[in-house]
Amino acid sequence: MEAQPPNIEHVILLVAHPDVSTSCLNKDTTRAIFAMRQRTWPDGQAVQVFVLPNRNPTHARFVKEQLAAYPHQLQLAWDRIVFSGMGQAPNRVRDLNEMRQRVASTPGAVGYLEREYLDESVQVISME
Amino acid sequence: MKVSKSFQWSDRNPVRLLVCLLATPPTAVSWADESPLDTLQVHGFLSQALIVTDNNDFFGASSQKAGSLEFTELGVNASLRPSPNMLIAAQLLSRRAGGEIRDAKPTLDYGVIDYQMVSNQERTLGLQAGRFKNPLGFYNQTRDIAFTRPSILLPQSIYFDRTRSIGIAADGVSVYLEERISTGTLRMSGGIGRPQTGSGLSRQLFGNTIGSVSSSTPSAIAQILYENQNGKFLAALSAANVNLDTDIAGNPAEFNFQPWVASLQYNDDLWSLTAEFALRQQSLEGDNIPTSFDITGQSWYLQYQRRMTPTWSWLVRYDSLINNNADRSGYQYEQSGFGPAHSQFADDITIGLQWTPSAHLMLAGEYHHVNGTGWLPGQDNPDSSATQQHWNMLLFQLSLRF
Repeated sequence: MEAQPPNIEHVILLVAHPDVSTSCLNKDTTRAIFAMRQRTWPDGQAVQVFVLPNRNPTHARFVKEQLAAYPHQLQLAWDRIVFSGMGQAPNRVRDLNEMRQRVASTPGAVGYLEREYLDESVQVISME
Repeated sequence: MKVSKSFQWSDRNPVRLLVCLLATPPTAVSWADESPLDTLQVHGFLSQALIVTDNNDFFGASSQKAGSLEFTELGVNASLRPSPNMLIAAQLLSRRAGGEIRDAKPTLDYGVIDYQMVSNQERTLGLQAGRFKNPLGFYNQTRDIAFTRPSILLPQSIYFDRTRSIGIAADGVSVYLEERISTGTLRMSGGIGRPQTGSGLSRQLFGNTIGSVSSSTPSAIAQILYENQNGKFLAALSAANVNLDTDIAGNPAEFNFQPWVASLQYNDDLWSLTAEFALRQQSLEGDNIPTSFDITGQSWYLQYQRRMTPTWSWLVRYDSLINNNADRSGYQYEQSGFGPAHSQFADDITIGLQWTPSAHLMLAGEYHHVNGTGWLPGQDNPDSSATQQHWNMLLFQLSLRF
């Protein structure tokens, strides 16, 4: 059997609607998209960002591990964007089931899932 | 042949990068199966403060009776995306900070059409036309939204009310660029436009000595901001050049205002350290006017924020303003008979506490111990000779947003 890195089940994956043509994003672009400063995928399609509540542990881990930021920083970035006319707020979902369902059904959607919630209704975006 | 360093196997795997590039061919698929109205968002905020001072008045008669309730901020905005790279956004703001009740009349805070012509993995380039918010320092663009402020009052040495109107927004065009570099992100923006010269401006700027204020020459603003790769370190430099036409007792005069702001911030999980330094050049020139001047002042503050729990945080800050570097104590100002020396500086020690039990509610309290009246609003204290050099201020604020 192949050796697996520890905690593989707990890795949080960046996921998108199956029709999104971008298969990898670099970290800075992912940060810009989740901070709502970049509104389109690299090919021009509108991005629809989905996030869990600020105090959800999966959200906190995704923001820290994949975006190298803190949830309070991200919330401040959204407030600054929304109240200065530079962009819009992300779409909120209650839990990981709703996250998967909304990302799977919204064209241009991007979100994140724990590996155990993953199925073929969404595609995984690899991060550089 | 020597293999170049960038082609070595490293954390930036070239094969994965190549796959990444090849897998995203530019296509012209139509995604227009949703109506722009589906993208409509409406957000708003409301904050109400109670201000109590021992000496001097701040935003209303704060030294009388139980204090002043005349610091109210109310805003609502709407935005929509008619096409993937376009955003239309506008915000109405009603704000009262002392003064008359009619000051709370809603105004257009911003109203922009924003177009991102380039948006890829390396950069984002966009343009805003309309009334856009000026990026000056870390806080200017959202200075009226309590949830974006670390304290009830922003450090007044830099974000004082006197130059608020001319600095807050401009009617014109602004260009912004976000460039992703190997060590982090560079964000640049620059705009040209006319500042807002509403009815309260001459009173805020010069007291009651000036009749009208208008802007025939456009003003300019620019900011460059660097954020390192882990988002912990931010540095910014902002500059503006504002020109206003005024008249003093029928004689035309020109007011020029040039602020420079250098900003630094370090963010950790549980704390943030922020410092900003500003140089402000102000001049008023004209023939036959009684009070021409050309002065440079400076401001700086150092602020430490501590997040004790996800809902509770506290802050301590030292904030200093000097109105005229050539007369730091205000001695010459007083000798010339313009007013008390202590109106030319202000040193403010602030401690504050914020409680944010939900995303929609925040309660805050803070205490200011101030030496000097450099940023004390003139409209609340029309007789500067009656002001006290040493004063204390207690503020409480309730803020809501949706």
